[in-house]
Amino acid sequence: MLGAFAVGKTSLVRRYVESIYSDAYHTTVGVKISNKVVQVNNTEVKLVLWDVYGEDDFQRMSWKYLEGAFGYLLVADGTRPATLDKALALEQKARVEVGALPFVFVVNKCDLVNDWQFDATLEAQLAAKNWSILRSSAKTGEGVEEAFARLTEAMLR
Amino acid sequence: MATPLQVFSREFGYVLLEHKGEGKFVLGSDPPSWFNELWGATQPADVPIPLAAMSPFLENFLVEAQTCWSSSQTAECRSEVWIESTPAGREVPLQATALLRDGQQMLVLHSPEAQYRERVQILQTARNAVLEHEKLLQEIQKKEILLHCIIHDLSQPLSAMRGSFDCLSAFTESEEGQKIIALGKMATQQQESMIREIIQVFAADLRATMDMEKGVNHAPDLLVCARNAITSFSPAFAAKRVNLILDPQIDQHAHWHVQGEESRLRRVFTNLLENALRYSFEGGNVTVGLESDGDFRKAFIDDEGPGLPPELRPAQLFALFSKGKEGGGKAGLGLYFCRTTVERWGGSISCTSLPEIGSRFWFRLPQAAAPAEGEAPPDELLSTVADPGPAVKGRRAMRILFAEDQEDIRTLTTYQLERSGHHVHAVCNGREALSALLHQHFDVILLDEEMPATGGVQVAHTIRENEARAGSHAFLIALTGNSTEDDEARLRREGFDAVLGKPFRLEALAEILDAASSTLPRRSAPKKPPAAISAGIDDLLGRIGGDRKLLNKMIQTFLHDTPKRIASLQKALHRKDADEVASLAHALKGSLGIFLAQHARDRAQELEELGRKSELGGAASVYAALQEEIAKLEENLRGYAKQTQAQPRSTVSKQTQRLAGKRKKQ
Repeated sequence: MLGAFAVGKTSLVRRYVESIYSDAYHTTVGVKISNKVVQVNNTEVKLVLWDVYGEDDFQRMSWKYLEGAFGYLLVADGTRPATLDKALALEQKARVEVGALPFVFVVNKCDLVNDWQFDATLEAQLAAKNWSILRSSAKTGEGVEEAFARLTEAMLR
Repeated sequence: MATPLQVFSREFGYVLLEHKGEGKFVLGSDPPSWFNELWGATQPADVPIPLAAMSPFLENFLVEAQTCWSSSQTAECRSEVWIESTPAGREVPLQATALLRDGQQMLVLHSPEAQYRERVQILQTARNAVLEHEKLLQEIQKKEILLHCIIHDLSQPLSAMRGSFDCLSAFTESEEGQKIIALGKMATQQQESMIREIIQVFAADLRATMDMEKGVNHAPDLLVCARNAITSFSPAFAAKRVNLILDPQIDQHAHWHVQGEESRLRRVFTNLLENALRYSFEGGNVTVGLESDGDFRKAFIDDEGPGLPPELRPAQLFALFSKGKEGGGKAGLGLYFCRTTVERWGGSISCTSLPEIGSRFWFRLPQAAAPAEGEAPPDELLSTVADPGPAVKGRRAMRILFAEDQEDIRTLTTYQLERSGHHVHAVCNGREALSALLHQHFDVILLDEEMPATGGVQVAHTIRENEARAGSHAFLIALTGNSTEDDEARLRREGFDAVLGKPFRLEALAEILDAASSTLPRRSAPKKPPAAISAGIDDLLGRIGGDRKLLNKMIQTFLHDTPKRIASLQKALHRKDADEVASLAHALKGSLGIFLAQHARDRAQELEELGRKSELGGAASVYAALQEEIAKLEENLRGYAKQTQAQPRSTVSKQTQRLAGKRKKQ
C-alpha cells in the first residue's frame, strides 16, 4: 500500500481484510502486515498486504519494503490534490527502485463528493497511460474489493 | 542458572536468537512475554523456530541480514519498526537487529513499546496539524474563488453603468438632472473603488505581504468622512425609512484629523453604516458620532436594531468571513475590512450592545496633524459631482481596435472613445480582432482578456509574433476583470503595454491612450465630420454635445427600427390588442421625441392613450396621421444623412456651436 499519509491505506486494508471501518484517523508508524486468502479463477491465492506508513516531511519511506513485492496499490485521497501529486511521484520512484510492478491507482474517499477534487482530465490522462484507476471509499466499501481483485489479477498475469 | 545476558534480555524485553539457516532460529535467551504471545509458548532451546515463515517482515529482513551475516567482519544491521498482531489482536511493535559475532549469525528482537507509542503520538499530532492546515487552506481557497467570482460579477455591470451615466449626461440639460447623474456616477466610482480594494487587499492578505504603511500619512478628517458617508447613504436609509443622523453633540470646531487614508476610511464608515442599516427597523434611527479619546479620535455608529447576540464575541464579528447574526451580511467581509484597516493604522475597532436598544459599532484611530495650509485637499466624495466628463481637446485621434465580448461595455466604450475623437473598430471576440488586423492598421488595440473562442492574451501573442516579423509595434491594452498587481505583471509579460482593470474609468483609459499617443509617429489629423443642415437637427445635435457620429448612429437606428415598430403597431391595431398598441405607441413616442418631431410625437401619444383606455375605435385615423408624419421625418433624416457625407465641420451652425459649448461648461 503506497501513498501519502492519511489517504486511507490502513482503512482500505482493514475494510478489505476485516470488513471494519473507523472514521478516526490513526497514523501508521512502521509497517503492518495483513493476510487475506482469496479465490481467483478457482485458485487459492494468499495475499500478504504490507501497509507501509505514508510518506511525508516527518517520515521517509524505505523502498526495501517493496523488494519482493508482486505489485502495489497506489492510494491517493480524492479530496486532497497534494496526495494525487504524491501518488504520481511515488509511482515514478517505485519504477526506478523496483522496476515496473503491476499496480492499481485507487483514489479513495469518493464518499466525500462535495470536496472531491480529482478532476476528470487527470483521470483521462492517466487512463491514456494504461493506468488501472478506480475510485474507492473505505467508509462505504465502494471499490475496495474491486481494487484488490484487479491488483491480484494483474499480479497473477 | 541464567547468564547475565539472558537476565538482561528478559529484563529489557529483548530476545536473542541464533540463525540456524533457512529462516529458522534457536533461542539464545529467555524470551519476553510478547514473544510467546506472538509466536506461541517457549520452545526448548535446541528446537529451531521457523520465524521467517511466521513473520513476512522478518522473511524480508533476512535478505538484508544475510548480507550482514555473510560479511567477513563483525557487522550488524537493524530493521525499521514493524507491527505484529497477537492472536488476541494486540499490536506489538518490533525491531530486529542482525549481528555477526565470532562467526555466529545472531538476531536480536526488541519491542520498543514506549518509544513507539511516543513516536506515534508525536506523528499523530503533527499530521493532524498538517491535515487541519490543509483543510483550512482549502476552505480559504474555496472562499477566495467564490469571492473573486462575486467581485468579478459585481464589477462587470459597473462599466455599463458608468457609460450609461455619461450618455445620460450628454442628453440631459437640466441642472437638476446633471446633479442626479453626478450622484449616480459618484456611486459607481465608490463601488468600483471598493471592489478594487477588496481584490487588492485580499490578494495581499492571503499572501501575507500586505503593505502595512500604505496611505497612512494623509491624515483624513474623520468629520468630513462621516458627513460624506451620511450624504452618500441618505438615499438608502430613506428608502428603508430609517433616519440617518450626524450626532449634534459633535464639536464641529475640534480637530478630527486621524492617521489613515481617505478612501479607506470612507469605506470603514460605509461598511459600518451598511451594517447598521441591515439591522435597523423602519422608523428607527442610526446616529453617527465622534468623540475624543485621549490621543485617539473615536467614531461610533449607533443603531436601534436587535443588538448583538449575547453568545457572540465582538472579535468573532470582525473575523474573516464571519457573517454575524443570522440573515445578516453577504460574504462576511465588510467588518473584517474595517478591522484590518483600522488596526493597520494603529487603531482598534469593536462593538457592544447598547443598554436599552440596539448596538454601537465604534473604531478609534490615532490623532494626526491637520494637513498644512495650501496642501491638496483630500479626495472628497462631493468633488466628483463636478465631474467635467471626458476631455477631448488636445488629444490626438487614433485608430483603435476594440475587442470586447460584453455588448454593453463594447457599445458604451466605443461611444465614449468616438466622442473623444478616436476612430474605433469594435469587435466582439479575439477571432474578429485578428481578422480586422488583416485588413487594417490600428494605432492602439484594446483587448478584453476573457473572450469566447480566442481570448485577449492569445490575440496579443499572435500580434506580437507578427510584429516580430514585420518590425512594427502596436500599443496593446489589456482589459481585465482580474486586476491585482500580479495580474498586471502577468499581462505585461504576455505582451501588453498597459493593463486596465474592469470596471475602468474613462479618464484612466484616456490617460493610457495619451501615453500610447506619445509613442506614435506624427501624422496628419483625421478628416473632420460633416455638419447638420436643418435647424431642428442642429438643435438635437447641440443637445448631444455636437457629436455627429452619435447623431448619425441615432438616425440609422431610427430608420432601421421605426418601420418595424409601425408594422407591429398596425398588426396590433388589426388584432385590437389595446395593451400592445399602447406599448408600441409609447416606444415610438420616445423615439420621435428625441428627433423633436412634435406632430408625430403627439399622434403617438394619442394612440398610446387610446390603447390605455382600450378605446381603439378612432385609432385607425390617428395611426394614418402618425404614419404620414413619420414618413416626413424619415425623408428629412435620410436627406440629412446624405448631405452630411461631404459637408465640412466649419459649417456647423452657430446655434449648434453655442449649445455644444453650453454642454461642455455644464
